Amino acid sequence: MQPEEMQAIIEGILFVVGDDGISLEKLSQALQQPSETIQPVLDAMTKGYADDPARGIELVCYGNSYKLVSKALSHEYCKRVFDQETPKAFSQAALETLAIIAYKQPITRAEIEEIRGVGCDMMIAKLLARNLIREVGRLDTAGKPYTYEVTEQFMDTFKLKSLDELPQLPDYQQKEEQAEPKDLFG
Amino acid sequence: MEFTVTIDKFEGPLDLMLHLIKEQELDLFDLDIVKLTDQYLAYIHAMQKLRLDIAGEYLAQLAELVEYKSQKLLPTPPSELDDNYEEDQSALLVKRLIEYQKFKEVSTAFEERFEQRSEMHDKPQSAIASQWVKLDEKYGEADPYALIKAMNRCLQRLQLEQPYEVKVAKPELSVDQRRVQLKQILKDRTEPFTLEDTMRDCTDIYMVVITFLSLLDMIHDAELDFTVKGEVAYFRRRDAEHAA
Repeated sequence: MQPEEMQAIIEGILFVVGDDGISLEKLSQALQQPSETIQPVLDAMTKGYADDPARGIELVCYGNSYKLVSKALSHEYCKRVFDQETPKAFSQAALETLAIIAYKQPITRAEIEEIRGVGCDMMIAKLLARNLIREVGRLDTAGKPYTYEVTEQFMDTFKLKSLDELPQLPDYQQKEEQAEPKDLFG
Repeated sequence: MEFTVTIDKFEGPLDLMLHLIKEQELDLFDLDIVKLTDQYLAYIHAMQKLRLDIAGEYLAQLAELVEYKSQKLLPTPPSELDDNYEEDQSALLVKRLIEYQKFKEVSTAFEERFEQRSEMHDKPQSAIASQWVKLDEKYGEADPYALIKAMNRCLQRLQLEQPYEVKVAKPELSVDQRRVQLKQILKDRTEPFTLEDTMRDCTDIYMVVITFLSLLDMIHDAELDFTVKGEVAYFRRRDAEHAA
């Protein structure tokens, strides 16, 4: 199969699957081509859409799922097409809780609360309901607490291909280590 | 020390402490627990003065801080064990503060990513594709969260398929307005009347409910008396008692 043909087929599939997106594995099954063959085509498409100023859509991959989205530049203009926009936003509390789970997963509620210093049961219920986190398992300790991790929906919401792409946590460690010897021996 | 108590909602005691540390320019890495405790206490007092509700977590943290402070201020016998204990406590707090600060800071990056993402739009799956589902997958092995996803999808589809909601609403009648109307209707009624009598002009269930609430109000304000015989409620104007 020629790369152009593959690209056309993939583009068609991406159009049909819409916001569901599709994984590399599924594409490879569909085209009956090894993923090593598909991957370069996807990469080329991603670059092609992104670099072409005449294209209004781009190919993204969040949480292992490829999908077509409109480019951010069209957003302002879309707003004029439609009268109303209901901006959704996350509360500071929700963002903090999600960040803690993303970096520390799997993590129990008690551990999250220890970091935030406030109760989080309502927040966790909300995030579960929004399908941003899920229960992964239970710890074999007293009370058998649930552990939580972030979902593909989370990856999509925050533009993450995988957890490796999480923003770097600010590092105060060094300063802390410098301060510690002073505390201990000072 | 003057305090400006902001309405800024703090996300908890740790958040408040970080705010104080920043505001008072304390060194997070060489934390002066005594100073922090004083500031924290002053803040809680100021909040109390404004009658702001203070969540239990803030008070619990205050208790801890006061404990550290008292340990720091009390002359302790120069025992190896006690020294270590005290160091541990404040070091632990600093560690928690630093840890929390990290996530607080990084959450702005998440917010930015979210904002970027919300300007990029995707479309639902082509409608026909939902009829192409292959059923050769094993049953009973699916992720229960897939059900949540499926349900959300159903709800979204449903919303899309329905026309924009058009609701023709009459200006809603308030209880007070209805009371005025009732007074007009009952103006010449010196005889007792039934509940049904008061509802003859009601067009919908909403108005029936409002009428009933108005009657309750009028009974409460001693404008009406009532009695129930069998299943029929009778009312009588209080001022008609004398007239009759």
